Amino acid sequence: MRVVLLAALAVGFATARPAAAQCPANASSCITCHETRGARPVLQAGQIWHDDHGFGDLCASCHGGDREAVDADAAHLGMRSNPLDDPSASCAGCHDDYAARADRYRPFLARAEQDRSGPPPRPTSPASAATTTTSIANVVLAVAAVVLAFVLYLLRERLVPARAGHRSLRAWLTAKSWSPYLAGAGLGLIVAISEGVCGRPLFASGAFDKLAAYVGKPLFPSSQYYQYLVSPGFTWPVWLMVGVLGGSFLSSRLSHEARLRWLPDTQWVPRFGPSRTLRFALAFFGAALVQIGAGIAGGCTSGLAISGGAVLAPAAFVFMAGMFAGGIPTALLWYRGRRDV
Amino acid sequence: MLEIIKPLALGLGFGWMLQKAGLTHYARIVNIYRLRDMTVMQFMLVALLVGGILVQAGVDLGLSSALVVPATLLLANFVGGVVFGVGMATAGYCPGTIVAEAGEGRLDAWIGGLSGLFVGAIIFGLLQPVIMPVLARIGSLGHVTLAQLLGASPWLVLLVFGELVVIVLVLVARIGKRAT
Repeated sequence: MRVVLLAALAVGFATARPAAAQCPANASSCITCHETRGARPVLQAGQIWHDDHGFGDLCASCHGGDREAVDADAAHLGMRSNPLDDPSASCAGCHDDYAARADRYRPFLARAEQDRSGPPPRPTSPASAATTTTSIANVVLAVAAVVLAFVLYLLRERLVPARAGHRSLRAWLTAKSWSPYLAGAGLGLIVAISEGVCGRPLFASGAFDKLAAYVGKPLFPSSQYYQYLVSPGFTWPVWLMVGVLGGSFLSSRLSHEARLRWLPDTQWVPRFGPSRTLRFALAFFGAALVQIGAGIAGGCTSGLAISGGAVLAPAAFVFMAGMFAGGIPTALLWYRGRRDV
Repeated sequence: MLEIIKPLALGLGFGWMLQKAGLTHYARIVNIYRLRDMTVMQFMLVALLVGGILVQAGVDLGLSSALVVPATLLLANFVGGVVFGVGMATAGYCPGTIVAEAGEGRLDAWIGGLSGLFVGAIIFGLLQPVIMPVLARIGSLGHVTLAQLLGASPWLVLLVFGELVVIVLVLVARIGKRAT
């Protein structure tokens, strides 16, 4: 026993990772290497077992190993390739009745292991996809590109918006507002730096999950979510939001827009009246829903819609469709019969 | 230390752009759902397109190792979007703009908004083990991009997407801006 421990320690020291890994991804290294970079992915392989457990970044909860190690050998140290070999370590974290469950699933999993030879193929990877589908998709897209180019040609008169006159740098920085196209392009650059250089989406909602865990973890000791999925921490997403607070302050300060105020400037008072309590109540209710929705969807407007949209992930567009499906009826309801406001 | 400076710098730019685009106004956020003010859509679509081109260029030039791809869970993405949209159209907020509104000195964002986000996060934490295993089971495509899903060249997808974005922007450019 002692020899094993010593050996494990020795391996641990020998493979110790550098203290400050550069911009580590927010996902576990398991997800980053196996799924995102596509080295032996399991979540898309259509295995029921992984489908059922793939709703969170849970790999290490069942399989062990070091979910934060970036070096492959270090990450796989102490890994359980078959979690059912030791259900008290693998399953007990989430399932109280782990022993009974393990007995039930063991024969099934043994059969699945027999059926599977070698790593599961990745159905969507360009390398394994049939070349015929690849060329068909490319041809269809090329035709679409030409058709849309023609539509753009028809719209050419409206393509160039009215140009603002030349402004000095100082005038730019102190302007009350920028064209949404210019500000959007600026945000696109920031998203690209965040994703491309730092390997993280530009998410806003994640910060509040991290902060809420400070309360959730001690308050709900039996919650799988707070004990295993989200840990409290004043980390990257929180600092990002501190930056947003500062950036908005700086921008509004320079344009003399920063000032304390209780109610929105326009539209709120004509519709809902001057009550601060009502504003706080609806602001609280709406903000809570927004955070819950972001949790369910896997990100918010910036973290999923923009950051995910930039890599053209279907998730982003499905999320945006949901936003309009929920938002339009809600806005209609609040403003029913009030077209004047 | 870098792990603090980098997100702070990115956040500064993020907050700056949100404020300069005027996304810190209740009316501007709500009116997108009343189809009266398309500023948010213009801002988002341009950010998406510019970000997409730069990220893909970064990968192809070898500047970054891999795309950061969110998981596509069709049902969860959509249901989450619906809940998000209801909240957004009620309060005129999304998580990032609440923080930007707080930076401008808006007390409703400090008092109602930030506490709402915090409580919403706790509620989601309690709901997650109950609802996510069910929601995530339907339409789970994994961490994929449209290009991988179609088996097509990412640049071709970007080109078609970019053309669509420009057409949409041209078409919505005439919708009036009533806010602020």
